[in-house]
Amino acid sequence: MPKKEQIIRLENVSKVYDLGGVQIKALDRINLGICFGEFISVMGPSGSGKTTLLDVLGTMQQPSSGDVVIEGVATNKMGNPELSVFRGKKIGFIFQSFNLLPKLSALENVMVPMWVNRLSKNTREKRAKQLLEEVGLGDRLFNKPNQLSGGQAQRVAIARALAMDPAIIVADEPTGNLDSKSEAQVIDILTNLNKEKGKTIVLVTHEQSIGKKAPKQLFLKDGRIERVVGFSKCDAWQGGKK
Amino acid sequence: MNSELFEIAAKNIKRQGIRTYLTLIGIVIGIAAIVALLSIGSGLGVAIEKQFEGLGTNTIFIIPLGVTGASSEIKNSDIDAIESIRGVEVAVPIYSTAAQFEFSDTKVSINVSAAEAEKSGIFEDTGFFDMKSGRMLTKNDTFSVVIGERIAEDYFDKEISLRTRVKINGKSYRVVGILNEGAQTIGGGGPDTGSTVFMSLKGFEKISDAESPGIVFAQSFSGNDTEEVSERILDYLEDKYGEKSFLVSSSQQLLEQVRAILGLLTIFLTGIAGISLLVGGIGITNAMIASVLERTKEIGLLKALGSANREILTLFLLEAGYIGLVGGVIGIAMGFGLAGAIAFIGEQAGFALVAVMDPVMAIGALAFAMIVGMLSGFYPALRAARLDPIVALRYE
Repeated sequence: MPKKEQIIRLENVSKVYDLGGVQIKALDRINLGICFGEFISVMGPSGSGKTTLLDVLGTMQQPSSGDVVIEGVATNKMGNPELSVFRGKKIGFIFQSFNLLPKLSALENVMVPMWVNRLSKNTREKRAKQLLEEVGLGDRLFNKPNQLSGGQAQRVAIARALAMDPAIIVADEPTGNLDSKSEAQVIDILTNLNKEKGKTIVLVTHEQSIGKKAPKQLFLKDGRIERVVGFSKCDAWQGGKK
Repeated sequence: MNSELFEIAAKNIKRQGIRTYLTLIGIVIGIAAIVALLSIGSGLGVAIEKQFEGLGTNTIFIIPLGVTGASSEIKNSDIDAIESIRGVEVAVPIYSTAAQFEFSDTKVSINVSAAEAEKSGIFEDTGFFDMKSGRMLTKNDTFSVVIGERIAEDYFDKEISLRTRVKINGKSYRVVGILNEGAQTIGGGGPDTGSTVFMSLKGFEKISDAESPGIVFAQSFSGNDTEEVSERILDYLEDKYGEKSFLVSSSQQLLEQVRAILGLLTIFLTGIAGISLLVGGIGITNAMIASVLERTKEIGLLKALGSANREILTLFLLEAGYIGLVGGVIGIAMGFGLAGAIAFIGEQAGFALVAVMDPVMAIGALAFAMIVGMLSGFYPALRAARLDPIVALRYE
């Protein structure tokens, strides 16, 4: 598979934490390519490095060594201001605990990334409304997070992740705090985003039932890719197979 | 910079509610105290300048310091010698004593000042005396006095009018002139000219045996350098009586000394007021640290969504700056109000106090308040900017 089709490429990426003099290797020489439009889930026991992998490929954390290349750009060589702008435009985040700002309405929460990226007020409002309607919350625009159910809050967070129309969505246990009905809704939305809008989605979960909804599944153990299940148009485990 | 940061910072500050208001109080008190003191301080300065203005630039004061006892008493021969010093136009010794003033069966204690009648024109020339009615003393006046308007109008049941006879230490004197109330005083004649009693030396000799003047006024010829002239007088006196026996000072020098003292006093008091502002600043630091802790997740989120560290820094600095700005505005208003009130009370008590409300001072205080706010907020803002987004987002 030619490298240019890879939207995310990790080359020999390691992440080492220093916990009071003890070196913990959260990621150990990971090689991974994710293609445009792939939907991939990352699974593994706690401490296997799932979240660290997500943080590194989402550019929230720099690797200790190796390259993180997103849309052809080596992000590990960028400085803070440049990387922040890059991240804000290219990657949308969905968190387990939603991370909505409690004092802002649903509409305002969705507008936050567009404010950070300096879109005009009009554009922000129009787009935020449209996104909330798309996730089925057209009637909840002015509710504060504490007036929303968990499922609704997570859908607001999904709308927020889509605000800048990023090519990549990374989701960290997005259904971890949800009941089964809301869980299904969220997974449906993610699946649709992948299928209909061609978003590249990386989903971290510890629940196999959720992870299996992704066409391709990556299993981590001790900071290394243990195995890959499923198929997609591109090979996601170059160099990762034991 | 994102121009909307200003708006967002203002909203965030409002959202903090009670904490913001409490923090504001610290800044308001500090700025109010500083502004009030500066305002009263420069008001005093203005009042003093005004007093000196009338003196002209060629007046010289000679004051025996008295520390060396009788040796620093000025004798008549000294007055003649001073008058013969190059550049000196006239030297007027002023004598004064406490005396009993009797009118309409009431006795009050007052201070009497006296100078040679021929030379007393100097007091009108230098602006010390401003005649309300009647005339100044002349050569032939012995049992004549000029009195201040407060004595004439307020001291006794009946008003003392011109040509009335009054008794001073049992001797009868005729009132020939009444002085307007002014803030200036000469030779210990009372708090101001409103309560001055002034007579000729000949008249003074009838009630007092004081042999040396409390102060000598001299004037240099115009065109002469007054300070050089005053130095020549000092040289003469120190040659004769030793060093530090006299203070010889031109009105200009005296004004500068008073200014210097007033300046020091203002700096000192403002410094004390500054301590309260420092405490206010620490209040801001404290409130901002609490705010950063509370909003850890928000900071993490903003970073995940593309805010650079310096934008987070700016946001929190602006928030702290706003507290300083709003505290500054309220503090300046309160400070000027307080200064106005102090000046009003002072005026009622007979002091020439004014509160100067200088826009430059206000702008300076405002800028200072904002700087204090931002400096106080710098550490918390830096903490916010340096938060690791990963840690911040998972902070519980």
